[in-house]
Amino acid sequence: MKQTDLWKSASKAQWDKGMTMIKIENLHASVDGKKILKGINLEIGAGEIHAIMGPNGSGKSTLSNIIAGRDGYEVTAGSITYKGKDLLDMEPEERAWEGVFLAFQYPVEIPGVNNTYMLKAGVNAKRKHQGEQELDAIDFMQLVKAKAKLVELDQSFLSRGVNEGFSGGEKKRNEIFQMAVLEPSLALLDETDSGLDIDALRIVANGVNHLRREDRSIIMVTHYQRLLDYIEPDFVHVLADGQILKSGDKSLALELESRGYDWVKEEEADRIKAA
Amino acid sequence: MSVLTPDHKMKLPGGPALQTLRQQAAGAYARTGLPGKRDEDWKYTDISRMTAALGESWWLTSETSTATDTNNLATIDAVDGYKMIFMDGRFEAQQSNLPSGVQLLPLSELLAKDDSKSAHCLFKLDESAPLFNGLLAANSALATDGLCACIGDGVQLDKPLYVVHVGNNTAHTLNGLMLGKGAKATLIEHFIGTDSDTAALSNIATYLRLAENSALTHYRLQLESDKQFHIGRVEVKQARDSRYTLHAVELGSALSRADIVVDLAETGASCALNGLFVASGRQHIDHHTRIDHNAPHCRSRENYRTVLDGRSHAVFNGKIVVAEGAIKTDSAQSNGNLLLSKNAEIDTKPELEIYNDDVKCAHGVTVGQLDKNQLFYLKSRGLSEEEARQLLTFAFADEILVAMDIKAVRSFIEKEAFAKLPNMSDLEGMLT
Repeated sequence: MKQTDLWKSASKAQWDKGMTMIKIENLHASVDGKKILKGINLEIGAGEIHAIMGPNGSGKSTLSNIIAGRDGYEVTAGSITYKGKDLLDMEPEERAWEGVFLAFQYPVEIPGVNNTYMLKAGVNAKRKHQGEQELDAIDFMQLVKAKAKLVELDQSFLSRGVNEGFSGGEKKRNEIFQMAVLEPSLALLDETDSGLDIDALRIVANGVNHLRREDRSIIMVTHYQRLLDYIEPDFVHVLADGQILKSGDKSLALELESRGYDWVKEEEADRIKAA
Repeated sequence: MSVLTPDHKMKLPGGPALQTLRQQAAGAYARTGLPGKRDEDWKYTDISRMTAALGESWWLTSETSTATDTNNLATIDAVDGYKMIFMDGRFEAQQSNLPSGVQLLPLSELLAKDDSKSAHCLFKLDESAPLFNGLLAANSALATDGLCACIGDGVQLDKPLYVVHVGNNTAHTLNGLMLGKGAKATLIEHFIGTDSDTAALSNIATYLRLAENSALTHYRLQLESDKQFHIGRVEVKQARDSRYTLHAVELGSALSRADIVVDLAETGASCALNGLFVASGRQHIDHHTRIDHNAPHCRSRENYRTVLDGRSHAVFNGKIVVAEGAIKTDSAQSNGNLLLSKNAEIDTKPELEIYNDDVKCAHGVTVGQLDKNQLFYLKSRGLSEEEARQLLTFAFADEILVAMDIKAVRSFIEKEAFAKLPNMSDLEGMLT
């Protein structure tokens, strides 16, 4: 075996079930000088699904955006380690090549840029980065058609401009379709359920469930418990005022649904008082 | 110098009546001279750049005409059309196959017939016409050749007229195309240069007359060499229910100015002007468009985009005048500008003059860089910064090109346009 092959198989084995996919330590971040995240600690193992819930303005989307590498967020303290590497040191496209995927809360429309072309460029950039052979047009079309079925995306969407003229539900389905094609190790689903009717939600959730794998971790950021009826998380975290105040299993989500978020905040306040 | 003195060797064709018209035009030039910064319509375009390169007698054709290999021109071979070639402003008969059932002659042949008065209207100047200037007067005084075509009533031309103007010497060219009632045609005007290092001027005027219910699609593709100066005028007069579509592409020349003047003269006429400039280096490109809504129920659409790199400079002026009686006017204008370099410059000005209340007129201008959210989206999918920028630039410009209905022209222009910009290769399958 050549040394590179050895390295490759070793690196593959490294992220099997139970190994740490991403570790966020004491993360502080601001936007325009305003503190949004105030010390986030979170560790996600390979194959796990974590739901991050919280009220509006708690910092949920900020966290997803920082992991994906969007401009405009200043990390003032802390670190994010992804597959053993410093994630914050990478450009957004490098993160994509390393297997990070963000399903956007508000997917942008890019008129004139072909959906399939964009994905082919993305897939091949990633393959090149990982030392694999690039896919040719025919192989790629086969891959894309199979994945489109997964989220019941009409094939006519493949040749359209990215999200151009898509309805809200179609945009979200397109995000999960892209996730299926790009096969990430870590997928961030940012409010993927918002704006979906019940049928669209079922289709999107089905797609995500098909994509669950032992070497793939998923972070779902959401307001509502109803998404978790369809995609069952291993862990639920409550994010409020820039901190994770409580973590638990999926029963925590049900409690949040019936009691709201305030009791979590009160508990935290009491805890601080007691200390 | 304000007196146009034609070269003695340059024999100006036309009988006595036409020579009188030429003299009148030369007189108009003597009065107006070249446009300068004092003219509001030339505020951002400095024509002295042309005179500096061509000299005091800028209108003269150089005596030492360089031989051009006519088999090796950068024409669009994939276009299936009636092809005509004008070499340095002279019609090259052997190169062109002319359609039957359509009256079509080079201007030079028309003028050679002493009794023919049909070309005279092309030379008759209206000094009160919108955007009239000395360069147009010089064109009338000195034009020797061009395309004269008349598409008869009800004739639907099966293939486009593909007119190639090869300019590597100064030429004044005058074209006229008339469409009869219910006629339909496509005209491709393709301006190309050769590798010649000498500076020259292409001074081109094109008059288009659309009779009732006729339709003309007009491609105006300017890809001259970077030593060339290009001055163009397109004047369109539209009768009842006629339809005019322009696809104007500006890629070449050192300095290019075109005045597009459309008169929606009768009820129900409509026009669509699509423009794309892609400029780099020190190129200067200027379009002044003027649409007159002179009758009720007319429709105009205008969509111009510019992509500017290096130290290039573009000017867009879109003037729309809605006359008092032109009720139910429907007009929309849009101009988007993408600046890829901090040294590039755009001067853009929509001008609306509306003299009645019963109209719908929309206009919008954007000037800017690439959209940050779109860039991030593409990068988050694994495209490099450079790839993402290329793709967005391409998509921005291609919104104009998608309106082109001749695929061969569109793909030719796509290739030429993006070869000008850094790292724009491998475009296959990039677009919707």
